[in-house]
Amino acid sequence: MADPHAPRPAFAPWDRRELPGSFTVEESARRAGNYKWIEMRLFEALGGWIATVPELDVKMRLGTHCYHHAWHAELWHKRLPELREMNPERLAVPPNEQMERFVEALTEPEAADLTIEKLVGVYRVLIPHKIAAYTYHLNNTSTITDAPTIRSLKFILHDEMDDWRDGEMILQSLIETPDDVRRAAERQVELETILVAAGGICGPGTLGGPTSDEQQPHQEVSA
Amino acid sequence: MRKAFPPEDLARDSRFARVDRMDQIADPRAASGQGGGRPNQRLTPDRADSADAARSLMHGIFVGEIQALEGAGRTCWDFETGTDGAPFALKLDMARQCWDEARHCEISVKLSEHMGTEIGEFGESAFLYQAACNPDPVLRLTGVNRALEGLAIDVFNTMKEFGSISADPVLEFCEDWMLADEVTHVKMGSDWLRKLTEDDPERRANALEFQRVVDKLFSFGGFRGEDDESPVILARRFRELAGFGTDEIDEIAAISAEARDEAKAHRASLAAQG
Ligand SMILES: [Fe+2]
Ligand SMILES: [Fe+2]
Repeated sequence: MADPHAPRPAFAPWDRRELPGSFTVEESARRAGNYKWIEMRLFEALGGWIATVPELDVKMRLGTHCYHHAWHAELWHKRLPELREMNPERLAVPPNEQMERFVEALTEPEAADLTIEKLVGVYRVLIPHKIAAYTYHLNNTSTITDAPTIRSLKFILHDEMDDWRDGEMILQSLIETPDDVRRAAERQVELETILVAAGGICGPGTLGGPTSDEQQPHQEVSA
Repeated sequence: MRKAFPPEDLARDSRFARVDRMDQIADPRAASGQGGGRPNQRLTPDRADSADAARSLMHGIFVGEIQALEGAGRTCWDFETGTDGAPFALKLDMARQCWDEARHCEISVKLSEHMGTEIGEFGESAFLYQAACNPDPVLRLTGVNRALEGLAIDVFNTMKEFGSISADPVLEFCEDWMLADEVTHVKMGSDWLRKLTEDDPERRANALEFQRVVDKLFSFGGFRGEDDESPVILARRFRELAGFGTDEIDEIAAISAEARDEAKAHRASLAAQG
């Protein structure tokens, strides 16, 4: 057996984790607050829609996915005080008004014959944007200082990928005619346009580039 | 999407048949037997109509699970999060319940096939979901999670025993798993009732009164009770695990006996009228 007292490097040769990361504590907390807000809006909407969809398999899937997003909201809620935000409600907000408009438009359909519109909003617009935002965060935060966020992001991304696949397969099984294709595409355009205007689920800077805070002085100078 | 969703709008595919509660009870194949020849008998394999009665009860469980799923989902949506509406943690519990009830629907579909019935063979009334429409989250949780989910504990325990005595290990296994979830749901109701009405005795009294009304309605004229005449037996041990005190269980037993006596008197007066 090797000498247990021989010095070993703190980081094994295969451990490539590095300092620093792209996000400060404050920026991480702001993103976590935006995440909590959108996860809450999503689980509430999925819960509300269960009674409104006649398709039995969709009804049951929505119930399952509703809990996934509630659990994600809980993970962010618990992470916020660890990022020095002792009032998690303060940061559990949308990044801007367009994002609020997006959620209003997303949750607007109720009628029993609008399952395609409901699901396109979630599985072809919102969840792909969440996957992108979470992946960007995962790939850019410090693998050493922010390991707790990375752990949550990995659990959440696992759910998001599974749920996206579920939702997309349900949609493909519901979209049968050229008219259905058109409905799905129009709904996607409607919602994607609002979400692009919002800049993504964390606002401008969701996938890098300047955040809305950073853009503010620049806009003032050019005005 | 509206903030309150009425029972008559619950979305269903073409297999489901919506009936009112009286038609459902009057179905001669029902487990209560009230529509047929032998009212109010324990569900045992030696009952001549046991196969139909068990299938009817299974179908009732299935549609009940759908409505429980819908009700928990609506509680996630209908109330704003916060002190004026529903606390964040309560809504997380309701989302968890959505997942559990979705699994119960899945289990019930498979068990229905296993028992030889199919979706739509029996009618569905929206009676259960109605209790989930109360605009006060405390009353809603007390009515749904303590009264209805409490009844689910009794029903699943009865079905589990029926699976055991009729040598059906699949039924016994599934009912026991659902029973574990229902104990969790009833405990959620008990815990939230205590927590949210800690400083508001009037609201607590109103919630418990609403629970009594729902418990009475769901005693179905003696359908659930503690004697041999009751098809569904009050499951005292599991209710204790779910936060019910002995006095509360005694009260449900009394409500059930009262409902049975009223149903008996009603039948007697119908017979006297010829
Ligand atoms: Fe259930
Ligand atoms: Fe339940």
